Amino acid sequence: MGRTNFLGEFEELILTVVLILNDDAYGNTIVSAIKEHQNREVNLSSVHITLYRLEEKGFLQSDMGGATQARGGRRKRYFRITNAGKALLQEMKDARTSLWELTPQLKFSHE
Amino acid sequence: MEKNHKYPPKYLLILFRWFCHPDFVEDIEGDLLERFEYKRGEKGLSRARWFFFLEILKLLRPGLIRPLFRTNSILPNAMIKNYIKIAFRNMVRHKAFSVLNVAGLSVGIACSILIMIYVQNELSYDKYNEKYERTYRVLGAYGNPSVPSSFEYQVWGCAPVGPALKQEFPQVEDVFRFTSAEPWLIATGDKKFQEENIVFADSTAFDVFSWKMMKGNPETALVRPNTIVFTESLAKKYFGDENPVGQTVIMENKDPFEVTGVMEDIPSNSHFSFDAMISMSTFQSRRPSVFTTWDYVDFYTYFTIKPETDIASIISQIPQVLENHAGNAKNYYNFQIEPVSDAYLYSDALRQPGPTGSLSNIYMFLTVAVFVLLIACINFMNLSTARAVERAKEVAIRKVIGSFRTTLIAQFLIESMVIVLLSGILALFTVILSVPFLEVISGKELSVEWLMSPQFIGIFIGGILLVGILSGSYPALVLSNFKPAKVLKGAFKTSSSGTLLRQSLVVVQFALSIILLVGTTVVFTQLDFIRNYELGYDSQQMLVVDYGWDPKVQKHLKYIKNELLKNEHVEAVAASRAVPGFFFPDAGTKIENEQGEMIMRSPAIYEIDDDFIPTYKMEIVAGRNFSRDFPADSANSLIVNEAAAKLYGYPNPEDIIGKQFDQWNRTGHVVGVVKDFNYVSLHDRIEPLSLRYSTAETTSMLSLRLKSNDISKALASIDSQWQELVPQRPMVSYFLDQNFNDQYEADDRFGSVFSVFSGIAMFIACLGLLGLTIYSTAQRAKEIGIRKVLGASVGQIVRLLSMSFVKLFLIALCVAVPLSWYVMNEWLQNFAYSISIGWGVFAMAAMITLVVSLITMSFKTVSVAVANPVKSLKDE
Repeated sequence: MGRTNFLGEFEELILTVVLILNDDAYGNTIVSAIKEHQNREVNLSSVHITLYRLEEKGFLQSDMGGATQARGGRRKRYFRITNAGKALLQEMKDARTSLWELTPQLKFSHE
Repeated sequence: MEKNHKYPPKYLLILFRWFCHPDFVEDIEGDLLERFEYKRGEKGLSRARWFFFLEILKLLRPGLIRPLFRTNSILPNAMIKNYIKIAFRNMVRHKAFSVLNVAGLSVGIACSILIMIYVQNELSYDKYNEKYERTYRVLGAYGNPSVPSSFEYQVWGCAPVGPALKQEFPQVEDVFRFTSAEPWLIATGDKKFQEENIVFADSTAFDVFSWKMMKGNPETALVRPNTIVFTESLAKKYFGDENPVGQTVIMENKDPFEVTGVMEDIPSNSHFSFDAMISMSTFQSRRPSVFTTWDYVDFYTYFTIKPETDIASIISQIPQVLENHAGNAKNYYNFQIEPVSDAYLYSDALRQPGPTGSLSNIYMFLTVAVFVLLIACINFMNLSTARAVERAKEVAIRKVIGSFRTTLIAQFLIESMVIVLLSGILALFTVILSVPFLEVISGKELSVEWLMSPQFIGIFIGGILLVGILSGSYPALVLSNFKPAKVLKGAFKTSSSGTLLRQSLVVVQFALSIILLVGTTVVFTQLDFIRNYELGYDSQQMLVVDYGWDPKVQKHLKYIKNELLKNEHVEAVAASRAVPGFFFPDAGTKIENEQGEMIMRSPAIYEIDDDFIPTYKMEIVAGRNFSRDFPADSANSLIVNEAAAKLYGYPNPEDIIGKQFDQWNRTGHVVGVVKDFNYVSLHDRIEPLSLRYSTAETTSMLSLRLKSNDISKALASIDSQWQELVPQRPMVSYFLDQNFNDQYEADDRFGSVFSVFSGIAMFIACLGLLGLTIYSTAQRAKEIGIRKVLGASVGQIVRLLSMSFVKLFLIALCVAVPLSWYVMNEWLQNFAYSISIGWGVFAMAAMITLVVSLITMSFKTVSVAVANPVKSLKDE
């Protein structure tokens, strides 16, 4: 099961957004956050399915709460990032940075 | 709560809750509603609803939907393997039931497949033509334009209509005409035969129909006069393995024709067929006038239209064509256009070029297929529910261990699937083995290739799934519903819950069997009835010699007749153009009505000599027969039948005598009326007929009434006499009654196919009954033991066991009688002369069903009744 420590691009995005939203991460806020910060339209269904998958992998955990009138009295499933999730994000970021350091210095020519 | 109309559609939410994984329903639904609110504020209600609908559709994905079986911990594959294993173990443990089940189902499935093959063949007619979709034919009719019903359309029509279409419409690609089949004497080397099925055909034959030319050039083979194209089998008959192309054959003892091609035999699923084609130019050079008149009927006209053109534009301009081309004929002639795809099953035009199929027969057969399959499914359901008690413990234990109801349903469905699949495979083998048998009884060439087509494989797999689910669902639902506590405590002994259903199913089975049996009886009684029907003339011992318009015979007709009369086996001889059951034309005929006007009608015509009516022992109801005492008869006399007299307005036949007539360039007076006789099959009423005094040149057949009963001796003697009298032509003869009854060949075949499948249905129903009897006697073994100990006799016990069935049988009878009466009355409408269904038919069907069922049951009941009660009572 070596692949569990690997995240796809979309999974990484969701995980990061959950981290950003801190205490207010559930389906809809994640969709709007991605729209706001990345200007990218994503499906509610793909967000949910990714959230559940990340939870199954142990990078997220969830609890129910916060029913509102607008939701017809349904509770929200709030997601929080786990330590494993944070560590993985950090690890991926470091890996990318170290790779970037290996690239030749880019020189921008001026006209 | 806010008002309902502001909310998303409720049914979508219900749908969502149904398909969504239960763990996720609440939060996703909340998110959805929140987004809906937001969208509604932003874009309005209707947009929001549409958006909501799309969201829900997008949620239909594997990760989010409810799993099919609630097997969270165990891999479903392993369980399915286990179910299959259990299914096989169960089958092996209960061998008798398994054999009954598999036998019933496989026979049922095999029957359905065979019927499907047959139906598929019926539906495949003419589809071998590449231009099938854009091939049409012309139907013509003559009548009075002010009386639209006087036009009776027929396929057989005049010559110029085809070329007129071609000339008028650029969309028409090719026009192909052929004539009705005629006998020809063909000779080559030492071989000389009379061929019955030869046509004149246009050179466009191979452009319109996709017949393959094996030797010779399809473009030019039928262009020159006196050329002939043989079919493969005819070529083999005359030339063996030699190449016939370029060879010469002698036609009718005088004309040399060149063989210009050999084509494949006409496919068996073609709506007409012939053995050879002679070029149309041969006909044209002999009788050019025929090709310009709109009044001479002898052609079947087919044509193709160019791709992507519309036939409607041609149909709408038919009056235009008649106006431009038909001249005076436009006042009494009209034509229609029919797609060739309608030719075999959907055409009700008269004078078809070949036998047509029957849509109602196809429906009948499909009904039988459904019945047989249904009976087999019911067997399966009955046997499995009956055995429910035995499996109750298993179900209970499974439930206690933690099986869900859904998984139990899955288990039983898989079990029934295994049995159905096994039966299906067995059925396929049965089908392959029995197709030749079906070919014999149906008289059709059936192709097994269809079994390899994706279409069939799709139907087969779909059918197996359907039958599996249909017959497995009830047991699955019942068995999986058992309350484990009850069963394990022992409170659950009999499966009384299923008894009512089981009994109703048995009623259905036997009602179906009785319907099929009544059907078979009616079909056979009707066929017997038409064969023995009083036709209006004596068809016994009537030998018909067909000399195919041989001019030498015609020339010496009188002499030949006299010589034949001298033969000790011959009682009477008559010459004519046609005899009952054979081909005859119609003739436009004017006869004076009571007001003195000449009315034009088109009755059928027989050309006969003065011996014809006495030879056939027909009855003259008014006037007189043709006679040599009236020499003018040959020029100015006509006899009609009663139906024709009515047609011209004379219900009393006496009144038409002496009226003027005008027919085919002959005028004079009606001299006699003959009693109606059946000259076509009994499917049709007797139509108006005119009998005209023939000249020798218009005869082609001799009818010989034989004296002796020693038919073979008579035949041999007449044949040798014929060789002396007519050395140039072999004698071709038929017995009239035989030939007349050949018209019912299709009906006979229908009868035999129908009876075979009804028999099989009965057989399967009996298998099921046997299974149920085995089961119920096993259940009641103790009861029977006690009854015997208390002094019941064997007879009483057998009666006791059979009575419960007899009750069901009586109910089935009540259902089946009115249903089958209705259906079979519909079928009898096909015949103008039919039996009325009497009580005898039902009584017979009921008796057969009852007796067969009781015998079947007795296999088990008797052995149980005879058994020593000690055996059933000793344990426990």
